Amino acid sequence: MKKSMLALTLTALMAVTTACSGGTGGGPAGGEATNGGSTNTGATNSGTTNTEPVAGGNDSSGEQVELRVMWWGDQARADRTNEALKIFMQKNPDIKVIGEFAPSSGYFDKLNTQLASGTAPDVFFLGGNVVDYAKKSVLLDLSPYVDKELDLKDMDKAMIEYGTLDGKLQHISAGANARGILINTTMFEKAGIPVPQDGWTWDDYAAISKQIADKLGKGFYGTYNFTVDGFDIYLKQKGKQLYDMANNQLGFAEADIRPWFDYWQQTSEAGGVVTPELQVSNPPTDTGKSLLITGKVAMTLAASNQLTAMQGLTQDKLTMVQVPRGPKGTGVVFESSQGMSGYAKTEHPAEVARLMSFWINDPDAAKILGNDRGVPVTAANRTLLEGEANEVDSLIYDYTSRVSKQAEAEPFAVSYNLPGFSEFSKLAETTVQEIGFGRKKVEQAVTDFYSGTVKIFDSNK
Amino acid sequence: MRKLPGASDNLTAYTFLLPWLIGFFALTLGPMLGSLYLSLTKFNLLSPPSWIGFDNYVTIFTEDSTFTRSLAVTFTYVFLSVPLRLIFALGVAMALNKGIRALGIYRTVYYLPSLLGGSVAIAIVWRQLFEGTGVVNQLLARIGIEGPSWISHPDYVVYTIVTLSVWQFGSAMVIFLAGLKQIPADLYEASEVDGAGKVRQFFRITLPLLSPVIFFNLIMSIINSFQAFTPAFMIGDGRGGPLDATMFYTLYLYLKGFSYFDMGYASALAWIMLIIIAIFTAIVFVTSKYWVFYGDGKEGR
Repeated sequence: MKKSMLALTLTALMAVTTACSGGTGGGPAGGEATNGGSTNTGATNSGTTNTEPVAGGNDSSGEQVELRVMWWGDQARADRTNEALKIFMQKNPDIKVIGEFAPSSGYFDKLNTQLASGTAPDVFFLGGNVVDYAKKSVLLDLSPYVDKELDLKDMDKAMIEYGTLDGKLQHISAGANARGILINTTMFEKAGIPVPQDGWTWDDYAAISKQIADKLGKGFYGTYNFTVDGFDIYLKQKGKQLYDMANNQLGFAEADIRPWFDYWQQTSEAGGVVTPELQVSNPPTDTGKSLLITGKVAMTLAASNQLTAMQGLTQDKLTMVQVPRGPKGTGVVFESSQGMSGYAKTEHPAEVARLMSFWINDPDAAKILGNDRGVPVTAANRTLLEGEANEVDSLIYDYTSRVSKQAEAEPFAVSYNLPGFSEFSKLAETTVQEIGFGRKKVEQAVTDFYSGTVKIFDSNK
Repeated sequence: MRKLPGASDNLTAYTFLLPWLIGFFALTLGPMLGSLYLSLTKFNLLSPPSWIGFDNYVTIFTEDSTFTRSLAVTFTYVFLSVPLRLIFALGVAMALNKGIRALGIYRTVYYLPSLLGGSVAIAIVWRQLFEGTGVVNQLLARIGIEGPSWISHPDYVVYTIVTLSVWQFGSAMVIFLAGLKQIPADLYEASEVDGAGKVRQFFRITLPLLSPVIFFNLIMSIINSFQAFTPAFMIGDGRGGPLDATMFYTLYLYLKGFSYFDMGYASALAWIMLIIIAIFTAIVFVTSKYWVFYGDGKEGR
């Protein structure tokens, strides 16, 4: 009896100690995977996590305040950002800025961990998930600094409105873009099909996708499957939305989204859509692997600021066309691509506000930062950049101005992603794959998806 | 008054144990109790935790289909990778035990994957090898087979990860090799005189005398395999995809805690994992007296 007790204790102890200490260092946070945790990022995942102090700053200037800034993206973006921060330090010798960056895949996990331990940077970038952070009261209220340290006079009203959550200014957009259909026109030429024009419909889209695939043959596809990324656009086109912020409830019902999943299922069956395997191995969000670059897929949904990065990787000619229309229009507006928020516990809120003000207003900063995070949010800087635009930039400006005109005729309200967004988008992605790999019928998949969404929403609202 | 004999010895012993004790209480037991408390709360990382009793556990067992799927994936992985890795390790160890020259070099070379295998870099290499247009499929294409995209199809990706695990057979092999060297050669000679063949020798001599080593390797492998994280995170898309086929238990736990702001739920998942590992370890321990042979006459200790 005694012996067996001993054995049991030993067993338990062994399990406990090994279970706790085991594992060969799975360093997760800086890891590199394919899936960005944010929407609308133009970044590839090739950046390495590192921390580098941005050189400069006057050590002689008495009391120097130190600010930490963190963003996601690749090395090219890091170089631009560090250079802009250097200029900020030259113009503000009393502030020293330390820049940190991580690839988009690990960025939010890293940020969450730092927020939990109270060591988050003074300024960090957020994307479409800003609501999640605002709800957890970790963002600095910038309202007291407006018109003092923070100059918003020249900033677009819609962007200020977007950054105002729960009546407080918590987010300053660092760039704006408009989503649209990114098109590889070279493929259209090869197939002998005219490049689509603004004003087309979803039926056109499905038909053209199929035509491209049929004309070019095996291994070529009309479009990526963007059920998830285009989800909110589709809802807006029907007069619904993802998240009804005013009433803090979901902005759509199960019946509203079923046709959207049906649409993609039918288009896939017709052969116009990338196979689910290829969608996994070459996701459209990974600029380095995108099949649009390699001339295998002719169309996908993308943010306008991505055009620069994508065009830089291919000889094929790319362009952007407005999203196909639904009953209420295109549903696309000029929206914030990403922006800066201050940490609620920062010791230097005024300096944080000064940095943000510099970021959006300073012409030198605008020249360095360019359109990397989207078009500048102040009219003055937009004019400045348009003056020295290259061919690709002009395409972007041309596209965004078309969207702006469209939005004037068919206005859509500012909208947000729902709380619990990263879990939600994972669920949506799984649902698309369940249908794509034939595990579930559309009807069943959508029912499960909706009940899952309700659960996630309730737990995060 | 004389001190009790041994009291000062104990003091010395505890002094030497102190670093470990501090580590155990401050870095292992403390956080464990902390996580036990958190598992009974709703904790979003940023606001203070609020007590909800056993709600997390109830949700996990009644409503969470991802939990069920992640368990299935993890069990598939453990039950495939542990036996395969041990068999492979034993095979290589026996081959190396034939008295070949430059044994040290071979031992080092085969041990290397164990050191590297858990790393992010190797996981990325694996990804490249098994991609749709990767080396593996190029080789298959030469013999006329069109391989699937191993890492992008939910039916195959787990096997890709199993091969990575089997490839890390080195540490088990080194231990097997040491065990094999302990088996007295005269036993083989005697059995050969008695007319036993190689197969019979293996099952009657090698395996029984090696059983304590197998026992050790088995337990370590099971525990390590249950905790596999890096390969799932790196070879899959980092979020369990495609279709939850790489949703290993640890990955799910990590996502829940750090990506989905549900640390209370993640803590509950961690405790369930602990209990599962404890059960498996206990099963191996309890059954060990039927198959582990210590060869020193003291059975069943």
